[in-house]
Amino acid sequence: MNHKINRVIIVGGGTAGWLSAGIIAAEHCIASAGSDTADCFQLTLVESPDIPTIGVGEGTWPSMRSTLQKMGISETDFFRECSASFKQGTLFKGWRTGENDIYTHPFTAPQSYSDVNLAPHWQTAREQINFAQAVSPQSALFADKLAPKQISTPEYAFNVNYGYHLDAAKFAEFLRKHCVEKLGVTHIKANVTAVNSADNGDIASIATDSHGNIEGDLFIDCSGSKALLIGDHFAIPLSSKSDVLFNNSALAAQIPYTDENDPIESCTLSTAQSAGWIWEIGLPTRRGIGHVYSSDHNTEERASEELLSYIASTVSEQAAAAATLRKVQFSPGHRAKFWHKNCVAIGMSAGFIEPLEASALVLVELSAAMIAEQLPANRGVMDLVAKRFNDKFLYRWDRIIEFLKLHYILSQRRDTEYWRDNCEASSIPEHLQDLLALWRHQSPWHRDSHNVDEMFPSASFQYVLYGMDFETLTSQTQRRSEQAERLQAGSLFQENAARTRQLQASLPTNRELINKIHTFGFQKI
Amino acid sequence: MSNYKILSKEAHKDLRVNTVRSAEFGDNIMYTMTFPMEFRDIQSCYPIFFCKDSESGQLYPAALLGFEQDQNLFLSDSGWDASYIPMMVRRHPFLIGFQADPNGPEGTTKPVVSIDADSPRLIKANGEDSQEGEALFKQNGSPSDFLQTSISALESIHRGLEHNKGFIAALLEHELLESFSLKITLNDGSNNELKGFYTIAEQKLQALDGDTLAKFNAQGYLQSIYMAIASFARLRPMIDKKNAQLP
Repeated sequence: MNHKINRVIIVGGGTAGWLSAGIIAAEHCIASAGSDTADCFQLTLVESPDIPTIGVGEGTWPSMRSTLQKMGISETDFFRECSASFKQGTLFKGWRTGENDIYTHPFTAPQSYSDVNLAPHWQTAREQINFAQAVSPQSALFADKLAPKQISTPEYAFNVNYGYHLDAAKFAEFLRKHCVEKLGVTHIKANVTAVNSADNGDIASIATDSHGNIEGDLFIDCSGSKALLIGDHFAIPLSSKSDVLFNNSALAAQIPYTDENDPIESCTLSTAQSAGWIWEIGLPTRRGIGHVYSSDHNTEERASEELLSYIASTVSEQAAAAATLRKVQFSPGHRAKFWHKNCVAIGMSAGFIEPLEASALVLVELSAAMIAEQLPANRGVMDLVAKRFNDKFLYRWDRIIEFLKLHYILSQRRDTEYWRDNCEASSIPEHLQDLLALWRHQSPWHRDSHNVDEMFPSASFQYVLYGMDFETLTSQTQRRSEQAERLQAGSLFQENAARTRQLQASLPTNRELINKIHTFGFQKI
Repeated sequence: MSNYKILSKEAHKDLRVNTVRSAEFGDNIMYTMTFPMEFRDIQSCYPIFFCKDSESGQLYPAALLGFEQDQNLFLSDSGWDASYIPMMVRRHPFLIGFQADPNGPEGTTKPVVSIDADSPRLIKANGEDSQEGEALFKQNGSPSDFLQTSISALESIHRGLEHNKGFIAALLEHELLESFSLKITLNDGSNNELKGFYTIAEQKLQALDGDTLAKFNAQGYLQSIYMAIASFARLRPMIDKKNAQLP
């Protein structure tokens, strides 16, 4: 029970596998080839040569910046090799009423968010200006398709906070190269044919078709929805969340730009449909457009019609006619636990839900970071770490599911069964119902967080609630600090307006900056 | 706005150039690009820092002339008060342009002397007795001494730009540049903050190994690095100048 945890085996070489490998290898020194490895840390990734990686465009959170930086990756190389673009948040269309309503969820928190809660002060001006625009410059910037920084801004630094849109297939390949060439990760191309158990029920080794048995102390299952280890071998069940989040199907397309100088969106566009929503992600080379919907509320035929009509109206009739749609089905939900014995699941093997808040990659980052940071010293303590990991990630999945559900239950749409079902009390987690009842009387604020590393800060709740026209009633009592705070809020609103104008005048467009990254690159300083 | 044209004897025969240093000719600049080959002269008058080109983000060495935009502390009613004027200032109204080279392989260019046709320095000479400024061409059409000196300055700048690329790349490779900001408090209590500048990271420099130092020495970079560090001493006289200008 006290043998050291030195040999970590990752099964699966998609984004989840290589991102996990990079995060763990950036934290722990790996024994160089040829040295006496029995007592040294080793990280091996076993990838099937037969399974192609699926090239979808994906969105990340701002956390990806520090993840890449910590791995020692040049942001310039990342942009050049992964068809990456800047993402500053999400723009939601049609979610409130289904008409032409729009609201935004920028990555930048409201002005002076650590000190002052601007939400109550904005309430009195809500008829004049929308919440996001009143408290942060960012939504005005992505409305103009501007970049979040300048070419003279050092790599990973910014004027306004940002994450990325990227080509996932290129990203996995880029990470593979970095992991193998720079971080000392061993890469084995082989198909897993069987799992060999130890006496205590742990995985002793995985049997492969071309590399025999590969032994390890800790196995990370990144085999995608196949879930070779956590599912097939250990039979840890999936707990379904389809009673809360109905979307279980997607149709995805890649649409070229009409002209190579067409502007690139610097936020994800999310447009509500009759029984789901359409995403649009702008990469420098193409747009990724897809429709995620509930097959219980919509037929594939109707979903595809809605998608093509979106493409026809936002891009062109020709683009819609030429589009090839790829269908994906999924069961929304996650494993009942993620770490079992000496096996932990990361990525789609751990669970999957609709990409409404781009939670897939950030969960990989957080999972791998916790494994890297709390790598069990020996088999004896592994069960303790596993329990902490399971508690933490079950909590995180609950928060993500609640946050996604929030987008639906605030809608005033009742035009289809889908939107009506979404507002059925039986489909809304109790904890979320409680929060909503509370927010009728007080706006989300720092006190709502139970943990220091909460998935969604209270600012995110503010953006969605007030973007969706939610009303928090004014305080019953007069606060002693009210007048001073109102003055401060007034000057913060003015500062924000001034900063917005200044940034609009000085930032390049998303396309311009990406072209400059390709020509000149970012400086490290 | 500038309007650069290729210099030609035919088009620019009668032009003269006013070489007076003054704000009306655009000399009221806060800093200007410099090159290691003139560091020796620059460091005797101005602090040398590094800054970024706003279009490309690329770093280049610069001589500091003032503490805020459009302020050149060396410029007065009587001209430019320093023993050495940076090459990039002296080049005006000329610039190196690039033209397709008909004798080279396709796509190659050759440097050509260009002139800013809209420069306020230009004087259209009326008649032969005009004495104001410097003539570009002699009576017989050959370049004047002034033009020849200007052309050789342009050639130095052309080499200097190439040299800067290697110098900056070497500094970045060894992480020898660091960002810095400097708060200058004047005698009247007002503050000027210098931001967006970079300087030599002296701790990193002191930790360089012998092989790198030998390489830097052979490339001439080592001397340039120490001249840039020594040039810091020129900040004090600039602050004194500014204080002396206070009402």
